[in-house]
Amino acid sequence: MKYILFIVLATFSIRLAAQQKQFSKDDFGKFIYYQVVDSQAVVKDTLLQRAKTFVNTLYKKTMKQESVSDSSISAKGTMVIDKTILVAGHPSGEVSYQFVCEVRNGKYRFWLTDMQFIPYQRDRFGNFVATTQIGTPLERTPGKLSAGAWKDILNSTYAKVEKFGAEFKKFMATSRVAAPAKKKTETISTKKW
Amino acid sequence: MKKLLTAIFAMASTTCALAQETTTSPLEISGSVDTYFKYDFAKKPNNITTSFASDHNSVSLGMIDIALKKKTGKASFVGELSFGPRGQSQSIPNGSVDPVTGDVSSFHIQNLYVNYDFTDKFSMTAGYMGTFIGYEVISPVGNFNYSTSYLFTNGPFQNAGIKATYKFSDKVSLMAGVFNDWNTYSATRGVSAVGGQLMVAPVEGWTAYLNVLSGAGAGGYGTIEDLTTSYQVTEKFKLGLNAANYDIDNDGGGYAGAALYPQYAVADGVVLGLRGEYFKYKNVGAVQGLKYTAVTFTANIKSGGLTFIPEVRLDHSGDKPFFKESGAAAPNAGQFSLAAVYAF
Repeated sequence: MKYILFIVLATFSIRLAAQQKQFSKDDFGKFIYYQVVDSQAVVKDTLLQRAKTFVNTLYKKTMKQESVSDSSISAKGTMVIDKTILVAGHPSGEVSYQFVCEVRNGKYRFWLTDMQFIPYQRDRFGNFVATTQIGTPLERTPGKLSAGAWKDILNSTYAKVEKFGAEFKKFMATSRVAAPAKKKTETISTKKW
Repeated sequence: MKKLLTAIFAMASTTCALAQETTTSPLEISGSVDTYFKYDFAKKPNNITTSFASDHNSVSLGMIDIALKKKTGKASFVGELSFGPRGQSQSIPNGSVDPVTGDVSSFHIQNLYVNYDFTDKFSMTAGYMGTFIGYEVISPVGNFNYSTSYLFTNGPFQNAGIKATYKFSDKVSLMAGVFNDWNTYSATRGVSAVGGQLMVAPVEGWTAYLNVLSGAGAGGYGTIEDLTTSYQVTEKFKLGLNAANYDIDNDGGGYAGAALYPQYAVADGVVLGLRGEYFKYKNVGAVQGLKYTAVTFTANIKSGGLTFIPEVRLDHSGDKPFFKESGAAAPNAGQFSLAAVYAF
């Protein structure tokens, strides 16, 4: 019984610790999510092509490419933050961000920064829509009244950004194999024999 | 050449596969609860006859409101129920009477509709929906002021019908539809109203809606033209405007009015606002329509999902439709209210 209790407490502590990850700050004092990834044996051009496909195809609805060079790509994007109530939830707002990816032979790095939050509110038709078009930088220090809610927003944003980062790394690590050419089905004619 | 074609084909296949992923959202649950205390300076309940908050010197109920929404692929639905004075008899029809048994059904439906996105730009919606007319809404979460305007009270609350929306761009969209008469679950005069809405967003932060609804409504057949617009001028200052005109056919009356809504964020989570309204009922034959002016001072103090709303409202009408404490007719009425609204 003691051991079961210990395991439960340990698991709970780990989950609590995992929930409190925070953004780092860059040279300008802005929150940043920064990763450097080793991608052995993958050349620079392939990495750049995969990054471009990720931005312009997989995430085309929420990301817009801003610039591209022979070794980098930058884009602006938005991600929706959810508020969870028991097993269901609804969007609570959106976070806009700046995405940059730089590639070299065998490695690449990417980061998300310049994150701004726009709260959602339910409209007359029951849909959640932005209440304003002016975003609030995530680095802002909240007042006492909104401190609790702001902490939830930061935590939800970090979780979403972390998931985005994992998805991007997975995409970059996966080679796109050409689909085999379709085999022509043989048809049998009964007209000639 | 063969390698190049293979590479192009591979990229195209990948693109196709990736772009075909459908969107499915989890079930969304949201809603609100609200309660209020109101004190009428003449100690008369319902002295100012706009919607909701009708009690005097009582800690009273607003409503509990629950909305469900889900989207699977291109199809979605919204179902919204509400209970309590604000969400029942004061805003939506109580129910319908069965023509055979005479039983009365108790409905509490704010929204019940399905939507289909034919493309990213074109969608159609059918069912019972919150009205597209006007600035203020039934839900206290959607309004800055807790009391409502005369424009809101006298306009439609819900429209059942079918509508199509085309989004030309993020700055322009157009909606057109056919509807039942206002505020009824079932049409009493057939699907006899047509309506439309043009949305324009000329600059960032400014959105304007030009609305028209023509057909069966309150008081008979008539046409409403409505302008609803809001501009987030700076991070702290927002300005809203609602103006409407309603003409009932055959000189059957109607109304006209305008309301201005300046709001200023004085601190994090604290916004002060003012509503200034002029409203006039139209003359019916020799009977002069009443005129009202109303000024409402409101604060929104937010902490998480809770908004605390202290408010003072002063109304004036030279036609003396209000009452003094003695029961005598009065040209002025005033009230103070405290409301708490929690949105989840």
